[in-house]
Amino acid sequence: MSSSETGNYEYVSARVRSRRAYLYGDEEYRKFVRMGPGEISRYMEETTYAREVNEFGARYKGVDLIEYALNHNLASQFEDLLRWSEGELYEHISRYLKKFDSWNVKTILRGIYAKEDVERIRDDLIPAGEFKSDFLEQLIGTNDIEEFVNLLEGTMFGEALGKGLREYEDTGLLVSLENAIDRCYYQQLLKKIEVVEDPSVVLYTDFLRAEIDFKNVMNALRIAHSGSEIPIAEYYIHGGKQFTSAKLASSMKNLDEMINMIRESKYGEQLSRAIEKLEDTDSLISFEHELEAVLLEYCDRLSHVYPLSICPVIAFVLSKEKEIENVRAIARGKEAGLSPDEIEKQLVIS
Amino acid sequence: MLEIILDLLANNAVLLQEHVSTDVAAFPPKAAAALGVGLAALGAGIAERGIGAAAVGAIAEDREFFGIGLVMTVLPETLVILALVVIFLV
Repeated sequence: MSSSETGNYEYVSARVRSRRAYLYGDEEYRKFVRMGPGEISRYMEETTYAREVNEFGARYKGVDLIEYALNHNLASQFEDLLRWSEGELYEHISRYLKKFDSWNVKTILRGIYAKEDVERIRDDLIPAGEFKSDFLEQLIGTNDIEEFVNLLEGTMFGEALGKGLREYEDTGLLVSLENAIDRCYYQQLLKKIEVVEDPSVVLYTDFLRAEIDFKNVMNALRIAHSGSEIPIAEYYIHGGKQFTSAKLASSMKNLDEMINMIRESKYGEQLSRAIEKLEDTDSLISFEHELEAVLLEYCDRLSHVYPLSICPVIAFVLSKEKEIENVRAIARGKEAGLSPDEIEKQLVIS
Repeated sequence: MLEIILDLLANNAVLLQEHVSTDVAAFPPKAAAALGVGLAALGAGIAERGIGAAAVGAIAEDREFFGIGLVMTVLPETLVILALVVIFLV
């Protein structure tokens, strides 16, 4: 059992745990909420974001500087993960990080659809994931969606996007293409790990299934909330365990029925706080944040039970993403002139 | 390699039976003790592999871990020192 086959779990999880300790906590967020963008970026310069803030400090300022520093730090930290890991562990991490490929592809797709400025699309990309920046540039440079899909042929999204394109041509809606991307991502994630019997991998698979389940529930809730008539089957991502497409479709007409379904499912207990919030405030955003917090908590628990597995790494990836989202929410909220209390409601703090 | 060792043991067992009357052990005591120390060192090495990897990871993130990392890494080494006592006992 050489480390090149099974992976160097000890090394990677030690580094990841150390990095985890440097993430911002409640205290920092509370400080940020009371600072202006300039002060936040100065504070960031003294912590893990030093390199990025210095690099972009001359070119951008205020909220833009924070945004660039966040995105680039995220990318470089995740690149580090891939650089450190070997063997099986590398495979797991790189498959999970394809999340950012799917994010980038979706962002560019929307940009092209909305005929957005090239510069603005570029700003929203997160340079983590497998696609190199040259390739992303090529994608941004395409003129229409057909050219875009053709360029992606041969990548993991190629086949599914080809099918989605036909549907798009009939309906003119991006939904089919975006779904194709999401489904592709989760399928490649689950495909290879279903056969393994290692308990930590089995639990990791459970975690991925929970993630898919939550995504499906969120999609269903959003559709129900917007009152549109799109059938859930079009959005449904396969691989979840608890909520089948039919189950979601039948309960979607009525919010109470939906809440009952969630409560009776396997996740009922963990989600009780989230459900209460949803019933009280009817706010989808806080429900979504609760879902994210529950996922993170689950992954954290797994990483304590199986310290030498993929779980600590995924827990780090999730909490890093949360940090980026939180800091961005604070900076953007400040820019829009929201009050500290309102901003605090937007944060995911676990 | 395991086969060779097993082979050796099997042959020695035969030897052992042959020499029963003359009271000569199959392994000279010193040789057996040496083998014991070697096996203990092998075990310590296996234990240190994982700890060392984790310690280097932690030190790479923060140099302050150097001291504690070093102590943790050589902790299984006590196994070998204890095994070394056997050498002086036989």
